[in-house]
Amino acid sequence: MIAIARWIGAIVVLSAAAFFLSDYHNDVYRKLMLWVTLALGYNFLFGVCGQVAFSHFAFYGIGAYSVVIFLFQVNMPLPLAILCGIALCILFALAVAIPSTRLEGFYLALATLALGQLFIVVLNEGGSVTGGTGGIANYRLPDIFGVRIRGPWYTAVIATLLVGTLALLWRLDHSWFGRACRAVRDNPEAAAAMGVDVARTKVIAFTLTSALAGIAGMVYAFVDNTVNPPIFGIDNAFLLLFMVIVGGAGRHAGAVIGAVLLFLLPFWLSPLVGHHHALVFGVLIVVAILFQPGGLVGLWDRFSRSRS
Amino acid sequence: MKRLFALLGAALLAWSAHAQDTIKIGVITDRVGVSKPYSEPSTEGLVFGANEINRRGGVLGKKIELLIEDDQSRPDISAALARKLIDQGAVFILSMSLTPATQQQQTVTMEAKTPQMTPMNSGDTLTTQLPNPYFWQTGPLGSIQIATLLAHARSKNLKRVALITDNSDLGQLLARFFRGGLEKSGIQVVAEEVVPRGATTAEPQMQKIRAANPDAMFMAGVLTAENVLILRAYRQFGLKFPIHSSYNLSVPVYMSVAKGLINGVTFVDAYDPEKPEVKEFEAAYKKATGKDSFNLHGYGYDGIMMVAEAIKKAGSTDKEKIREAMQTLKYKGVMGAKGMEYSFPEGKRAGFDPNGMVVRVYENDKQGRVVHTGQK
Amino acid sequence: MQDFLELAVSAAASGCVYGLLALAYLLMIRPTGIINFAVGEWAMVAAFGGFLLLSKYEWPYAVGMAAVLAFMLVLGWATERIAVRPLVEKGAPILAPILALLGMLVVYREVVSVSFPPDPHPVPFPFGLGRLEWGPLGGSYQSFFIIGTTILVFLGAWFFFERTVAGKSFEAVALHRRAAALMGINLSRVTALSFAAGAGMAGLAGLLVSPNISAHYLMGVPLAIQGFTALVIGGVGRVEGALVGGLVLAFAEQFTARYAPIPSGFAQGVPLLLLMIFLLVRPTGLLKARA
Repeated sequence: MIAIARWIGAIVVLSAAAFFLSDYHNDVYRKLMLWVTLALGYNFLFGVCGQVAFSHFAFYGIGAYSVVIFLFQVNMPLPLAILCGIALCILFALAVAIPSTRLEGFYLALATLALGQLFIVVLNEGGSVTGGTGGIANYRLPDIFGVRIRGPWYTAVIATLLVGTLALLWRLDHSWFGRACRAVRDNPEAAAAMGVDVARTKVIAFTLTSALAGIAGMVYAFVDNTVNPPIFGIDNAFLLLFMVIVGGAGRHAGAVIGAVLLFLLPFWLSPLVGHHHALVFGVLIVVAILFQPGGLVGLWDRFSRSRS
Repeated sequence: MKRLFALLGAALLAWSAHAQDTIKIGVITDRVGVSKPYSEPSTEGLVFGANEINRRGGVLGKKIELLIEDDQSRPDISAALARKLIDQGAVFILSMSLTPATQQQQTVTMEAKTPQMTPMNSGDTLTTQLPNPYFWQTGPLGSIQIATLLAHARSKNLKRVALITDNSDLGQLLARFFRGGLEKSGIQVVAEEVVPRGATTAEPQMQKIRAANPDAMFMAGVLTAENVLILRAYRQFGLKFPIHSSYNLSVPVYMSVAKGLINGVTFVDAYDPEKPEVKEFEAAYKKATGKDSFNLHGYGYDGIMMVAEAIKKAGSTDKEKIREAMQTLKYKGVMGAKGMEYSFPEGKRAGFDPNGMVVRVYENDKQGRVVHTGQK
Repeated sequence: MQDFLELAVSAAASGCVYGLLALAYLLMIRPTGIINFAVGEWAMVAAFGGFLLLSKYEWPYAVGMAAVLAFMLVLGWATERIAVRPLVEKGAPILAPILALLGMLVVYREVVSVSFPPDPHPVPFPFGLGRLEWGPLGGSYQSFFIIGTTILVFLGAWFFFERTVAGKSFEAVALHRRAAALMGINLSRVTALSFAAGAGMAGLAGLLVSPNISAHYLMGVPLAIQGFTALVIGGVGRVEGALVGGLVLAFAEQFTARYAPIPSGFAQGVPLLLLMIFLLVRPTGLLKARA
């Protein structure tokens, strides 16, 4: 009970911030929270379960495109469109995950890399359904019970998504399933010997985090009220990987720190060093991995240990 | 890049005297992403234009202050930056980035009712996909490009042609409007090929085109490396049908990277080097910066000049007044055929004159003479 | 039929480039287990080296090429020193150097991006633009040059690993690091050499392909992906696998684009689809490692 109250408190605090921000900061805040949500999901897949996949942004895109297509081309009501979008993500995730459990490490990475590129090909060639390279625009979130959610109120929706994702992953991480995932990551043979169904654990983790990415994508679709292919490309998938690594793989706090830092980095650096910000980004990644292989969250651990 | 900073520095110094009372104009450009080769020169032209305006006393007695942001060709970042510029008091936003980035900025400018223009993007859909009365586009549209090319090729009596492009967003968009223009003229597209970004050869695609035996080939791609692959395969196979290309071949980089491959290729351009305004612009640019300019600089220059003109005409920095002034603006600039005027006919927000493009031809590895003007 | 053979030459040339890139990966993976995605950026660095020395300063081709390759060896060695060795010595998990090298990928790209204008830069052909007709086979001089050079490189690599003591010591490390160390093989020297050689291979691929595709700051990632795909198809077990994988990939790409009865835009997706199917059916690659 207290736990639930705490999560709700987090939603309220995160949402409240939106009402004190300018339009610009609100927009950055919204996109930042979406990246944090994605990083949390990806961290569970990569950091906790040890699967290197590059399909996260493809699922983000499947979510975003499917909800828009179901709503405005198939004319479904919003709840149904969301359910169908989630179902579609799960279906695709299972289709990728079940055969992929035969693959390990970088073979899975390669298969999902191919999937990510294939997804962009389909978006570009999708004609009037996906809008081709121009994507889809000129729509807005349907009213819910006659209320139009916009501005900071939509930021509250994103805050709910973020906290909801975190709460779900947190509970999973601290359940038998989280332990099974970690066991599969550290030593699949030992995990199997302990009675963990390795293949099933992998499939569930992949499907779950992919569906979460899809839901985040649905929320993204109404942030700028437009969806287009460049957002869902593999460049962003690599950025997501870097976020989790720099922050600290396998730790929720690490995913949050990494996402916040790397998302905001160009905004801070661009005025200071101009277009050299991308170079600074690269150097930062290398330095972080060399000196803090456990991620920046390791710095915090050291700090709190030295205090106690 | 250095010259951009130098220009910026000079501009900043000039503005600091009037820091309190300036007209702020936002610029979203790309300094690290895929659009950089196009965004950078255009933005340099734009900065030069702003300096010229300020040198002549500014607009409405105030200096122009450029707020330049880098969106890395990422549309979501681009939209956030549009909000930033609006929050900082920009009365007009110029997008010098990727087409999808310009598109995503529009969702913001439409909501915030802030005038926005792209002086370089040429996808027709930018002004048709969203009913955004605050957005204008002055780059030469894909549909104008194909119509101009066809007008030039009319004497050749084309019946069956091939169309080749790449898988970039703009390349796909241009191909779509090229196909539309060809079909409208009753010309059959017998082969339609795509060379993907990162390809190491275009020979399979060109073999297919060779097998289709077209009367001519139209190039709609905008990726330089991939376009050079197409030209290379064309020479390799010793093909003879003429090539007509989009405005992408009008940038000077082809004179060096496609050396020995490109002679005889015709292309549309929005730039006529013989036009007096162009000569004047190139001389002034050289004098101010010590560098040579080309057509991409002209797009940015015309963009800022038109914005300044609209603000002057509005007589205030009120966004609604600027919108009205912009919609009824007529402007003769550096770009376009001799005597061309940008204008926005009732209900249209794409301002490049349909008869304002020229067809030029490569001769001796140089961009040569104008062989045709307009769509007639 | 003539089209078929002509395309075979073109696909073989592309396949050789992919094969060299796959070999670059393989040279580093075998002794260290590290997948270095920066090979694409190495190819790009070499392409820019080619632009500088061959186009701008107009050095003779052979001299310029040798200088660029020498530079690449140093670059590979330095990369290992900076981004790999500190982590290996610390005993970090294998993923750490892989990710550090991903960071280096960004560093290389951005250093080039801020040092050169953004437009593509021309790199000259060693034998010009001409075309060679050889019986039913026809192709550009460059295609035949790429194929010939690659064959020599792979013969050399095969000879090195199969017939020389140094090559055997590489293999020993690949099979069992600790045992190799006990046998007196200097592990860190093998690692440094493997990175130098990897950079040399990637640089050679970059030099060979750049007259066709020009030197451009965004050229690295597609090459890295193509090379890695070739590696996976061929398998990491044997040196020849890299070349076989490269050829299979290039033939799949170009013959789908030429002959598959689907819209051209979709044709680029077919090799990706093939790859996914291939991975699922045969995750160890075409060629199995020798026992």
